[in-house]
Formats: sequence, structure tokens, C-alpha cells
Amino acid sequence: MLVHLGHVMVDVAVIGAGQTKFGNHQLGLKAMWAEAAENAFSSVDKDFEPRQVDEAFIGSVAFGGAQLGNTAALLTEHSGLDGIPVRRVENACASSGFALRDAWMAIKSGQADLVVAGGIEKMNDLSPERKRFWLGVSGDTEWERLAGLTFPGTYALMARRHFHEHDSSHDDLVHISVKNHMHGFENEDAHIRKQVSYEKAESGFMVADPLTLYDCCPTSDGASCVILAADHVARQFTEDPVWIQSSGAASDRLALHDRPSVTQLIATQKASKSAYSAAGLTANDIDLAEVHDCFTIAELMATEDLGFAEQGQGGVFAREGQGVRNEGSVCINPSGGLKSKGHPLGATGTGQAVEVFKQLRGTVEGARQVRDAETALTHNVGGSGATCAVHIFGRERNG
Amino acid sequence: MDDYFHWKGYLAVMNEESLFIQSPYIHEDIIVYGPDSDSTTMAIAGIQYMHSKGHLIESIHLSDSIDARTVFLATGADSMAHNADLKFEDVAWDLLGGEEATLVVAKCNAQSYDFKAPTDVEIIDTGFFKDMNEAWRLEQEVHHVSQGAYVSTSQYLEGAVARLSLTSQKVGDRMIWPPRQLDENGLRISKESHMLLPEAQVESWTKLSAAGAPSEFSLRAPILGGIQTLLVRFTQGPRGVFLVTDDLEYSPKIGDTVHFAVRRIYAQEGMIRYGLKAIPKR
Repeated sequence: MLVHLGHVMVDVAVIGAGQTKFGNHQLGLKAMWAEAAENAFSSVDKDFEPRQVDEAFIGSVAFGGAQLGNTAALLTEHSGLDGIPVRRVENACASSGFALRDAWMAIKSGQADLVVAGGIEKMNDLSPERKRFWLGVSGDTEWERLAGLTFPGTYALMARRHFHEHDSSHDDLVHISVKNHMHGFENEDAHIRKQVSYEKAESGFMVADPLTLYDCCPTSDGASCVILAADHVARQFTEDPVWIQSSGAASDRLALHDRPSVTQLIATQKASKSAYSAAGLTANDIDLAEVHDCFTIAELMATEDLGFAEQGQGGVFAREGQGVRNEGSVCINPSGGLKSKGHPLGATGTGQAVEVFKQLRGTVEGARQVRDAETALTHNVGGSGATCAVHIFGRERNG
Repeated sequence: MDDYFHWKGYLAVMNEESLFIQSPYIHEDIIVYGPDSDSTTMAIAGIQYMHSKGHLIESIHLSDSIDARTVFLATGADSMAHNADLKFEDVAWDLLGGEEATLVVAKCNAQSYDFKAPTDVEIIDTGFFKDMNEAWRLEQEVHHVSQGAYVSTSQYLEGAVARLSLTSQKVGDRMIWPPRQLDENGLRISKESHMLLPEAQVESWTKLSAAGAPSEFSLRAPILGGIQTLLVRFTQGPRGVFLVTDDLEYSPKIGDTVHFAVRRIYAQEGMIRYGLKAIPKR
């Protein structure tokens, strides 16, 4: 049902969210998506049927080349979302962060009341030779890839330069790795549920100097799904919604060498500035943040670009344990982040929203709960910073 | 000490108006090309040297083993292979390849000269030499195509002049490289017409493990033990990322000065793709 409210802006609630476990899946694409959708549908407190959904946005990068066209139609027909407008959203690793934004805008605009945003990626069903399919496909293929760069290399360039310009070192990245593995250890949906000691993380196999294996997220399969509702229908489904207080997004030059700075992600700065402004909040108001730590240096830089640390102080922030759950100033990546929870590219953004939904409703596994969590942020980056979506969620409606 | 000097990663010696240029690598007493060189890259280096000394080489005879299009894109020197309108007798310069990795750039009417052998040569490891040659042979097979993202021939050629010669756009005092299309006002940025000075400083660097290398490098990266990339800033402003010539074992430092030479980047569908690589300044 569509409700036209003229110029009155609608608030948007998350009424349900679910995902598959991230990791190496035996399930195929359709079954994986169906599992995430089923988990999201069953998380809705009151009666909900997928036929009530007005529209769906599904983030995905490429499925290893298996189904490049009409992917959203293929998936949604297997989750009871027949006949409605659906589309795939592709913005590299930020695909479902932008699917979430598109779903939010569809409701904000008054064109839809109930919208599904989701994401999926199947990365581990390729032969070892074919797995190279995934390397470097979302960077600047013409100039970066032909200089030998895939994303570990690009982020390694950022890391070395950050160490050169600021008070940071690889030791700070080790702290981030240890923290995220600690956070993810008790997350039942995490890809790598393993605590890692400082000594082990410090001495990992060199992937892209100076980044080691323990600085890099795994290659994961997975799907995630969230259900958004307009304020005037949200209470039909739950008395305990989580509100999307704002959405911010931005883009930047695709290639690292074309950007004014290689130690800041301008897209993150712009997206978060927009999101904070629309929500009337600052970084100090955030209790927990799911940030895009595809590499540990990405988390270090994100803490600066999102305003949790001053520019250049991300290393100090990590060193002092400021992002540790229930110990630091803000919990960074309570799910374990991409580093531990995993990174099925297209599923990551809405996967972050699933974690935030559970944290703000107090339904995560006991030890993982961030105390007194009222306000949360998700930060989803495409590639090495070309696209970024930031969302702020709260227990309270905006304003 | 002989009269040889280092130029674009090769050894060269000048005699009157002739240039002799050779690879610095020796294998079983034969001068051989390094891991990313061939007669095309050496021809470009030779012509560029002559240009730097004020010799205007507009037309040149090339042997069949040299990729005339790449030479033309990199240097502007036309060849009979590239330009059907050129007449044999109008071509002023010869580029004579030897049986080994050597070339002579000379005027067509030049007399012959003897060049003595250089001393500053390097013995190349037999296993490495054979493995790299085999990798290049496989890479040049017509069916060899990189996986995932793919730079088509037309896309490669669209950027080839900028890639091979550092030709850049200029807006006011600002140099733009690699080339861009429209500006913030929706207006087309003028075509590349200014050459960036081929000197830059290292801002960062990495060495990517073989397993993480792009599929274009999947055959050679394991032999090399990974792929090293430099992020550099040109003296005139733009940044770029570059591989290192000869896949040298080079320990870069931020602030190092590098210059550039055309080398093989990779091969796909039977075609070698060339581009600039960085050379640490000696």
C-alpha cells in the first residue's frame, strides 16, 4: 500500500533483519539469499508476509561472474517477493550500503511503505585458478591494476604513507586486528571465530608490505537482509523498531593516485558529515559503529574520517583501546567487523545493519552486547574509497 | 671504465651520430633481454635518447620484431610499418637489431662503427631467465585472457599515448595525468598536449604477494616472489602508480627519486601491452 504524504517527510524504521552465517558456504545463491530473507522475516515481532513488501534493493558485485544480469529478480522470486519492483545495486563492497540507502529513500519519498534492502555474494565457489576473478575488479582496472595493484596493495600504500605522515605504525594495526577478532569470537555469524594474540597478529604472513594476513579480511560467502518500514506502518510489525536517523553518502576518485590525500577517505568524511548533520548528532553521540575494516588500516583511517579520532590520531586511538567493547569511548566493530565477521562484498553493508539492529534491540549474544547502546553508525566503503554510505540508527525517532 | 652510460635501464654508447644500446644482462655469454624488456622497449629507449640529444627522428626503419605502433605512440617516430605513406628512400634513420639484445640507432647513410663491449654487465640466473621466458611465452598465447575485470584492446589504446609518453592535459598551471574527460563545469578538458617531466618522488610503496597479484601477472608473480608497486608524485604535481623496471630487487624509501622507461607490462590475447615503469635514480 502506498501512502502519499505530500511534503511531510516520513521517518524510516528497521522492523526486521537477518543474515546467513558469513564464511565458506555449501549453499548456492538462491538458498543463501532465501536463508537471509527467512531470518529477517522471522525477526519481525508481529505478523509479516513478504507479499506486503513494496520494493526491494539487492546489493551484489558479481557472483564470480555466474549470474551478471537480473540478479535481483533471480533472488527475490525465491523469497516470496514476486512481482514487485526489484533491482540489483552495485557499488563494489558498498553495494548493500547503497541498497539500504536506496530503500530508505524509497520510503522517505513516499513511494513505498515497506521495502527490503539486502545483499549477497558468493565468492568461494570458484576453482583456485578462477578465484583471481575477484582480484582488482573494483579498483581502477586501467591504471591501478596494470601497475600490479589489487586492494591489499592499494591499502598497503595508504598504510605506509600514514605511518610516514603521522604517529602510527604497524603495531597499531595489530591492536585493531586483535580487537576485532576478540569481538567476533562470540559472534555466531562470524566467518573467523578465533581469538588472535598480539604476537601472532604481529608476525603474520606478509600479504602486501606492510600489511600481513592478520591485517586483511577473509573472502566470504554470505547474504543479509533488512526490512524497512515507514513510520505510519512500523507499529503494525513491531513495538520495538530501530530508527534510521539519517543516511549520508558520497563518492571520490576511483584511483588512489587521483585523490588529493592518500591517508584520508574524502568520501567517508563527506558521507558522515552529511549523516551527522541530518541526524543532528556528532561522533561523540555514537555508542557503537560498524566500520568498513576490509584492512586494519581502513579501520584506523575510518576512526579519523568518521570523527572518533582527530586526523592523524587513529593510531593512538587504536593503541589506547578506544574502540574496545564496553571499555573504550565508542565500540568499533562489535560484530568483529569485516576482519573477523567476514566480507561477502555485496552482503557487507546490510550485514552491518543487521548487527546494529540486534545491538540496539539488545538481542545479540550476551557477552557481545554493547552496554546502554542507544545510537549506532554503519560505514560501508566501496573499493579503496570511491564510494561510501554512512547510516545512523537510534532507538529514538529522529528529532 | 668504458664510455658506456646507463640509459633507461640499458647500457648505451654514442659514436658520432650513432647510438649503440644493449641490455645489461648476460646469460651463457650471450646478451639477453631482462625480464620485462624486448627489442621494442630498447628501440624506444634508443630513439628517446637521440631525441634528448636534439636529433629529430621522425621516420625510421624498424625490423619486424619491433612493435611499430608502440614505438610511434611512445616517441612520435613514424615507421614504414606504421605509416603506409612513407617511402623507403625518405626514411632517414635505421634501427638495426643484433642477434643478441642489442640495437644501433643510426642515420641510413652512416658508416659502420665498432663498439667495444661494456664491462658493467650482470649475469642473469639461468632458472629465473628460463622461467620468465616461458611465462611470457604462455602469456602471449592468443587464448590467454585475464580474469575478472578486463582492459580491452580499445581501452588500452585509448590511454596508450599517456601511458607510454606521459602526455598530459594542462588546465591553467595544473597538469592532469592520467587524462580525464569532462571538468566540473561539464566542459571537455583539452586533449593531452603537454609532456610531464619524467621524474618523480616515491610517496609510498608496497610489495604484493604472488597470490594476491592481479591475474595479468599470475604467471610471472610467483617467479618474481611478488609484485612491487610505487606510488609516486611527479615534479609537476600529478601522482601515479608504477611497477619497477626489470622487476628489480629494490628497497625503496619514501622520498626516493625515480625516472621512467617503457617496458612490457603484460600480454593478453596475443598482444603485449607496454607502459612506463619506474627506475630508481642512480
